[in-house]
Order: sequence, then structure tokens, then C-alpha cells
Amino acid sequence: MSPEARYVNARVRRNEDARLLTGRARFVDDVQLPGLLHVAFVRSEHAHGRLIKVDGAAARRRPGVVAVYTFDDLGEYGRPAPVLVPPPPISGLVFHPRTHRPLASGKVRYVGEPIAMIVAESRYLAEDAVRDVIVDVDPLDAVVDLEAALTAGAARVHDDLESNAAAHVVQRKGDYAAARDRADVIVARRFTYDRGAAAALENRCVLAQWDRQAEELTIWDTTQAPIPIRNGLASRLGLSESQVRVVAPFVGGGFGPKIMMFYPEELLVPWASIRLARPIKWTEDRQENFFATTQERGQLHDAEMALTRDGRILGIRDTFLFDTGAYDPYGLTIPINTQCTLLGPYDVPNYSSEFTAVFTNKTIVTPVRGAGRQHGVFVSERLLDLAARELGIDRVEIRKRNLLGPDRFPHNHEIMFQDSAPLVYDSGDYLPALEQAAATIGYAELVRQQAQRRSGTRRVGVGIACYVEGTGIGPYEGARVTVELSGKVRVATGVGTQGQGHYTVFAQVVADVLGVSVEDVQVITGDTREFQWGTGTFASRGAAVAGSACHAAAMSVREKIVALAASVLGAEPDRLEVAGGRVSVRGAADRTISLAQLAARANPLRGAVRPGTEPGLESTAYFGPDRGSTASGVHAMIVEVDVETAMVEVKRYVVVHDCGRIINPLLVEGQIHGGVAHGLGNAFYEQLVYDEQGQLLNASFMDYLLPTATDVPPIETAHRETPSPFNPIGLKGVGEAGCIPTGAAFAQAVEDALNIEILDIPLSPDRLFRLIQQAADR
Amino acid sequence: MILSGTFTFNGPRQKVWDLLQDPGVLAKALPGTERLTMSGPDRYEGVMKVSIGPMTAAKFDVTVTLADKQPPERFTLQIDGKGGVGFARGSAAVTLQEQGDGGTAMDYTSDVQIGGRIASVGQRLIESVSRMMMRQALEALDRELRARIDADASGS
Amino acid sequence: MKPAPFEYFRARSVEEAIDLLSEHGPDAKPLAGGQSLIPAMNFRLATPAVLVDLNEAVGLSDVTAQDDGLHIGGMTRHRTLEQSETVARNAPLVTAAMPFVAHAAIRTRGTLGGSLAHADPAAELPAVMLALDAVFTVRSRQGARHVRAADFFTGLFTTALEAGELLTEVTIPPRPVRSTYAFQEIARRHGDYALAGAAAAVAVDEHGRCTSARVALLSVADRPVLAEHARRALEGEPPTADAINAAAAAAAAHDIDPPGDIHASSAYRRHLAAVLIRRVLERAFHSRETS
Repeated sequence: MSPEARYVNARVRRNEDARLLTGRARFVDDVQLPGLLHVAFVRSEHAHGRLIKVDGAAARRRPGVVAVYTFDDLGEYGRPAPVLVPPPPISGLVFHPRTHRPLASGKVRYVGEPIAMIVAESRYLAEDAVRDVIVDVDPLDAVVDLEAALTAGAARVHDDLESNAAAHVVQRKGDYAAARDRADVIVARRFTYDRGAAAALENRCVLAQWDRQAEELTIWDTTQAPIPIRNGLASRLGLSESQVRVVAPFVGGGFGPKIMMFYPEELLVPWASIRLARPIKWTEDRQENFFATTQERGQLHDAEMALTRDGRILGIRDTFLFDTGAYDPYGLTIPINTQCTLLGPYDVPNYSSEFTAVFTNKTIVTPVRGAGRQHGVFVSERLLDLAARELGIDRVEIRKRNLLGPDRFPHNHEIMFQDSAPLVYDSGDYLPALEQAAATIGYAELVRQQAQRRSGTRRVGVGIACYVEGTGIGPYEGARVTVELSGKVRVATGVGTQGQGHYTVFAQVVADVLGVSVEDVQVITGDTREFQWGTGTFASRGAAVAGSACHAAAMSVREKIVALAASVLGAEPDRLEVAGGRVSVRGAADRTISLAQLAARANPLRGAVRPGTEPGLESTAYFGPDRGSTASGVHAMIVEVDVETAMVEVKRYVVVHDCGRIINPLLVEGQIHGGVAHGLGNAFYEQLVYDEQGQLLNASFMDYLLPTATDVPPIETAHRETPSPFNPIGLKGVGEAGCIPTGAAFAQAVEDALNIEILDIPLSPDRLFRLIQQAADR
Repeated sequence: MILSGTFTFNGPRQKVWDLLQDPGVLAKALPGTERLTMSGPDRYEGVMKVSIGPMTAAKFDVTVTLADKQPPERFTLQIDGKGGVGFARGSAAVTLQEQGDGGTAMDYTSDVQIGGRIASVGQRLIESVSRMMMRQALEALDRELRARIDADASGS
Repeated sequence: MKPAPFEYFRARSVEEAIDLLSEHGPDAKPLAGGQSLIPAMNFRLATPAVLVDLNEAVGLSDVTAQDDGLHIGGMTRHRTLEQSETVARNAPLVTAAMPFVAHAAIRTRGTLGGSLAHADPAAELPAVMLALDAVFTVRSRQGARHVRAADFFTGLFTTALEAGELLTEVTIPPRPVRSTYAFQEIARRHGDYALAGAAAAVAVDEHGRCTSARVALLSVADRPVLAEHARRALEGEPPTADAINAAAAAAAAHDIDPPGDIHASSAYRRHLAAVLIRRVLERAFHSRETS
């Protein structure tokens, strides 16, 4: 008898919120240990230069300072950090891995690069001592602009390479050149997308405690991937994995940069703790976060689309530059995502995509929510809009003419995705989503009113954009489900949680399978002592992969429950019902046993456990999908532009999306809202501004603008479901979806209001003012 | 950051030229200069303390080098300042032109790179601060120029 | 972002505050709301050796309407000004501007005196006081002196305050007959530093001709600026739409030379100034709320 779905797809309020809202949740910075020492880093003020001298003598003499470390103190430990994601086996791929060292040596390559580590009795004293350290840097020209970086005379970020090209990849499908020859119209433009930060509410924090007597190292770390961190640090420190425990307690947002980076701070704090035999904590402050935590989004595209007269796409060609920052530890995940996501929900028979990853003297780039997908969507959706305008076809109509129909799945795009598997769309139904979004936003009526909307001081525009997103990739995750003697259920899994609601979502899945109430399921994530195998939270895979592992483990426990209950109650398994925390014989209310009692029975204090069985009601299961499953959606928005002040307001925002089966609609909406806010940020507010010498000019929330609650309109959401065939529940990912098409829809909407062309994101009132002036001059 | 402009000194060109080569004068004129001494031919070193509003006494170690001197017409300056709140490095090109009315027009074009903390949190103000410091310096130099002219005139 | 070490004194009276400030000279800074000073200290851009806390000093927070005008103590919180009926009746321009001053939470701590002494070019209250032709009372060991707003703001974050002096009170002259007011600013997000802003205090005679048109601009220079060209163009004339347009254009073209930064170029600021001057004048002249 299969489990009844009571919680899956229910709007269950989160198990963890009471703790979070009343200050009882523990974050890394909350951890207090006796004798705790504090860390501040001396960081490079120059984006590029030869590091001539670092002198910590005066700093060491300051009262309260316990140690000052520079590169020379590290020995073997100073070797470069590992490459985290080797690139997929794409033919002809060129990749030059260059990773960071824990402290700079020989050269500094970005503003904020750590040069020395100061350990002191308090953070105040450590910061006082930063001024004492003498750093002698011979400045070099900084490499900032992507095109300039590749010219012959450009300064080189890595002297042992011939140029600043970090990688070169070409992916092709069909024959674009031939398609181009047949085309009735070619639309070509240059598009730019600029850098943004993840700006998690909680900055990074690492606390390490070396217990000299037990020879155990405990590390509290705001990481999205405790298990790889544990494995990597153990190996690097010469310890066995069982001697190292990594705990990611409550983490205040990840969004990508808290992935298993082996950041300098992550490498050094545990190392110093062992050397000094004292617990050591480093808490990143907001200013540091702008330099020291990874960023993303800088790309430059020269793209063109070849179409027939009635708007059918014959092919797309895209050549782009990807800014990887000073080092490239995360491989090519982001630009490959761009290549793949550019295809969208459309039938693109011929495709040629080529990118060069470029080293620059800026903060290291690793995935930030969306991870390169928004760039692909921006390019293809903008090209379609421009083609629509040129051909005189309505924007929604041209999209409809190119959508893949529901009969085209699975659809193999023949190019490679980030998980090293070919890009295959497994399931989806795009046309109804587009129609629903258009109808909800009132698109047809708005089109009729276009002339009116484009007059007066306040002009109104509508934008609508589609996307397809690969989610839920492997390799795998695992979970262990245990029914305890109290009858409550314990779930442990290796992924970390940064606010996605895993404590609730995984509980819902397990509660349904085991017939208990969701409040009685305790979920533990992010502690390597609890669960040893897995990768981490990223790429919109938590629910699909870890959730599926929880499901599998729970199903296995359910089998044990039924088997044991059958023997205890003397009934056939198919006559048993598992519900309300009990197992009962259907139709015989008095023949029943609680899960608590069963758990006790399953672990006898006397007697024997029969061979081939295990004690207890516990199972561990792993889940690894062959490939990711594709989610999709359509965003539509209405903007109002004051042409006198160039200020833009988003009046309405509609999301129609398909992330397969939904465990908790409340949480899915939360993910979408957060993603949309982030997307609006990247479209109109957030831009990391670097000058020609690689100085970041807006390293504070005074000048780096995040959209606030008053800048984001209520988001109207509608769900559609095409279940994933790759996991038993049919889940797809949704963590990043909200921010993927936002830039494209925003640009289209502003263009619609003002009849200008917007090819660069983010837009700002200053930039818009200039575009309006230029259009008026013409 | 490019900072350029024109300033009219109330005095003849040769006198203005001599003034600009004198570290004692520069030390008095440049706002917040605690010390500026010659450390080599055409090279000065010293300490400047910049105070604007809440920013109290940000100390900078400064090195100024003159080059491409074509007296009394033009020269270039290299400036290197390093302090706790950041650094400023740049060059300036200065030309002096005799005016008919006994004054001297100075044209300056400077490209200064600001880095460190003031660059990352002070962007709203950098242009204003730079313009202000330039104006204060030039007005102070002009005052010094007129004082010298008056002193000469009274035969001291 | 921890501040450098400093000494802390809590003044219980204005006299004590002045004594402490005089004693420690330029190394000391008064602490009012701390909403600008403390962040500057946390960034280590400001490193005062001494902080003199004014928050418990008696007698600095009164708001009273007197014959010679509205008297407001230097330590009056923004929130008090925002909610005060006395202020709304006697200086509605202040009431109109308050919602634009940072955020509600900040307004519970920030003070009038602190904002004026800090003299941030993008601050609202300096411009408001300039438009209202307010007078500031400055006290030191030598006694009290009075400085008009027009003479108080002397440069970027620079005021007429010397070391050892404290701004203790602001006096806003009584409202002229048939006076009306309007305030507007453009900011990227609610509560941000304005890209540009305008505070207008106007009055007309019984025939509807403009007798006074004071528009003060913020965030377009290193200090608040009175739009002289607008004033000269409008005073003595009927405030028609064309007259207002022309006044705004003239002021934007001639009264300011705005700096550029990463948020707005000089040209954009100048353009916004013209738009804002026009809008506040239109709103003020057509406002029905008159004295």
C-alpha cells in the first residue's frame, strides 16, 4: 500500500522558523569557546603588482597580537588550492587552471587578496595591527576590460601563460554558416552583462578548534558543502577524515559563493588553530565580503540570429568573453551554462557558440544564483525581440512560432551541459506557460495601447521572456532515516542549508512516507559527523537530489516497518496501514502498534537479530540522477518610466513556471520571490563598478544597491507541472529560476515603453538618461 | 580620475615658476601638509594630513617628483601618496602662460588613481574632495605669490 | 569594520560638552545621533581620539514657537520633527522633507544639529534651512553667536563651526503671509542619498505675484545651493508655467556645476536639478496649504 501524500504539495509552514525568528538559531559567529582568538587579514590595496616585501614585525609586537602569518610561514601548505570543477570533456576545449594560494606570494592579483593573517585577542586589536604590517607593492597595470585583456600588449595576470585567456571552448550543432546563407534576416548585436555580488545576509565565517588531546579538529564554516571541505582540509592538513568534523549550522544565505571554495580563510583558520592549539575565529565583515567572497556576471557577447521571413529561427551564433577574475578554481561551469541556456525553449537547428574565459585583476568569479544562465537567456530573448521588431511580428507571436512542442521530448541539443552529459531537455510544455503569462499580464490589451503608453511623462512598457533551466544534476546525495524510540523520526543528509527550508521540505517527504506528522521529523543537515557522503547545495539540486535520497531512505524504512509489524501483528503486509505514527491492520482497530514500540522491538536487548536483517528502523540511501531535469518558465512585467527623471518603477510582475512536482508551494514561492528580487537587482540596481586600475568603487551597501521591499512589486506566481522522469517524486529545481529571465524581460519592457534599444545590463537611471538623450538627438 | 582646469595667478610667470619649485612654499600651500622636504633633485618627500568633515587627519606619506621641466613654461609632476585609508597615485601636466595684464594662466591636467578604502566607500565625494583640495592649494599658492610680490615691492 | 581606539565622555550639560570639546580641540568630536559618525569610525575613515556624547545633555531638545520664530534644539531627533504638529504649523517645509531623511529607524536617532553640523552635500535638512533662511545659534566658551544658514555651509562637509563650538539651536523665521512650500528629491531607492533634491519656500502677494521664491538644492554641489537665477527670475512676476520653466532652466544652467560620481554624471544631475526646481515650484505655487 503506497503512502498517502499529505504533506507533499502542501503549504506547510517551516519547522525552523520559530528558532530563526526568536534568535535561537546558531550561526557560526554565535559559537563562543573559551580562549577564542580572532583574525583580521591584511589585504592587497592594489589590483595588480609585484609583492616585494611583507614585514609583520611591528604587528607582532603590538600587545594582544598572538601571531602574524605571511606566505613564508606556510611552507608546503602554501601551495595553490584545488581546481574544484574540472571542465567537461568537450572536444577541443582549452583550459588553463590557475588557483589561489592561501596567502599572496610574488604577485597580488586583485584588490582584497589576502597578504597576511593576524591572530589576536579581539577583532579590534587585530584590525589595529593591520596598520602595523608593512606591505611593499610595485604596482603593475591592471587588467580590467575584457577585450583589452586579450590584446597583444596587455599586462598578464599570470606570467607563465602567453595571454590572459584562461580557456577557450567551442560547441556546435548543425551548420550555422549554411543556415546564415539561407536566412531572410540576420539580427546581430553586442550585449554586455556586468558583475554583481551574491550579498548573502550573513557574511562568511570560519571557526576552528583543534583538540590536541583528542587529536580532533572541529570547523564551523558557513559553507554550502561541508563534506568536500572536510575531505579536502583533512587531506591538506595531513589528518584522516574521521579526525575532522565540519559543521555548517544555520547559514544566512549562500547563493553560490559559499560553495566549497577552499577560500584562503577556510584554509588558514584551521591551520592556525592547530599551530597555536587555540580555537580561532574569523568573521568576515561586509566590506571584506565585497572583495574576499566570489562574484559573478561579467560577460561580453557578440551574437547573431538568422531567421526566415516569418520569424523561424534558422540558427544562432554567439561569441563571448567570460570574466573569470584573477583565478579560475571553478572551471567553466558558468560559461557552459550560458552556452546551454541560450537555446531556451526554442527549436534551434543550428548553433555555434564560442567563448574565451579571461583572467582579470578582479575578485575571483564562481557561480552566483543563475550561474551564467541569465546571460544566455538575455542574448537569445533580446535577439528575438530585435528580430520581431525588424520583421514586424509581435514579440509573443515570434516566440510561439519557435517553441518546442510537447511531442519533442526528450530533446537532445547535442551540446554538453555543466554535468558533462549532453544537454537533453527531458520534459516540458512551453506554449501553455507563455499563453498563461501573456494573459495574466494583459499583454494583448497592452499591445493595443502601445501608442498611448509611449506618450506623456510616464511611459509604460511590458516585457515577457522565456527560459529553460537545467537543474537537479548529480553526482549524488545521500540520506539516513531513523525511527527513534520516541516514535519521532530523524533524517540526516550531507547537504547544507542556507535558508531554503530543507528542515521542512525533507521532513515533508519523509513524513508522508512514514505516516507521521511533519513536526515529528527532525532533519539534520550540514554536519559531517552526522552524514559522511555527498557533495553540497548548489545548482538547484537540493530537493531533487537530496530530497530524493530522503525519499528512498524513508521508503526503505517503511518496508522494514511493514515487515516487522506484519510479524508482530500477525497479519499480511498488504493488510497493514501506516498512518498517524502507528501501524494498524485495516479494519481491525485493536490490532495496532505505535512506531515507538516497533522501534524498541527492532532493537532487542535480548534475543538475536536474524542474519540478513539489521537492528533498528533505519536505512541509508543514495540518489544520483543520470542527468539533470529541465525546469522552465515565463516571466512578464510591466514597468513605468518617468522620461524626465529616467527613474523606472516595476508595476507588476508575473511568473509562470514549471519545476515539476512541488513539495511545498510556500517555499517554492519564496524561492521565486527571492530569485526575482535578485534578478531585478541585477537588471536595474546592482552593479559592481571597477575602475581602470581594478579598484572596486562601490564596496558598501551605500553604493552597491540591493532592491528593497519597496522596490519589488508583489509577484504573481502560477505553477505548472511536468514531472521529472529522473526521480521518484518528479522534482525539478527552482532555487535559481527567479533571477534567470529577469534582465531580458526588464530590458524588453523598458524598450517597449521608450522605443529605444537596451543591450546592456544592468541599466541605471544615469545610463537610461543618456540613452533617452541620444534617442532624442537622433 | 581626471582633474583638469585653469587658474589665474596674480603675478608674472617667472615668479609663479619659482614658487612652484620651492618645497617650503608647497609645504605651506598644499592643504594639510605637515612636512615637505627635498630628498633629491626635483624630488620631495613628506607627510600630509587630510581632514574633511568626519574624516579626521588621514595621514599620507607623500613623494612628489618633478620632470620634463621647461622653465618657465611647463613641467610634469608624479605624485605618490600612501596612507591608512588608501593611496593616491598620479601625474599632472602643468603649463604656465604669461597674461597681458601681469597675471599668469596655469593650465593643469591630472590623472590620479585613488585606491584602497577611500576609493571603495568614498566615491560620492572623491571628485568633490579633489576639486576642493586643488582649489585650496592653488588659492594658497596665489596668496603666497602676492605676499612675495608685496615683500619685494616694499624692498624687504 | 571595528573602530580605532577612542576615549569616551558623556556630557550632562551644554557647558560640560563645550568644555570637553574645547579641552580636546580638533581631536574630539561630539556624538549626537551617530548615524554618520559611527559608520565613518567603523570604516576607520574617522579616527577621533575623543568622543563627547551629547545624548544626555539637558536642554538641547526643545521645540517651541516664539514671536521671533520656531526654535528647535540641536539634539531634537528627526522623528520628533517629523511628527511634531508645532513644526507642521510653523515650518511645513521641514515636515515635507522629513520622510526623505534616511529611513524611519535612523530618524529615531539622528538629530537636527548633527545633520547640520555634518553638512553632507546630499543631506535634506541643510537645504531646507537654507530655503527657510534659518539662523543657527553656535555656543562656545566665549559665549553665543548667530550664523545665517547662507553663511554656515562653507564647503564639502565644512561649516562655520570652529573647534570647541557646538550648534545648540536653530531658529526658523515666522512664516510669511501667503507662503507655501514643497520638497522633492530623486533617489535610486527610498531612503538613499539623493541624486538631486530641491526645497522650495515661496510666497505671493494679494494679486498672486511672487514675492519670494527661495529654492535650495541638495546633492548638486559641495554644499546646499540657493537657486539665485530662479529667485531673480520669479520675484515680482506672476508664477506662470512658462515663468517657472524658464526660472528652472536658468538656475540649472548657471547656479550649479554639479560633480559626477558612479551614480550620476554631472549632466544628469544638472538635468535633474532643472526638473526638480520646476516640479517643486509648480507644487509650491499651486499648493492650497497656506498660512
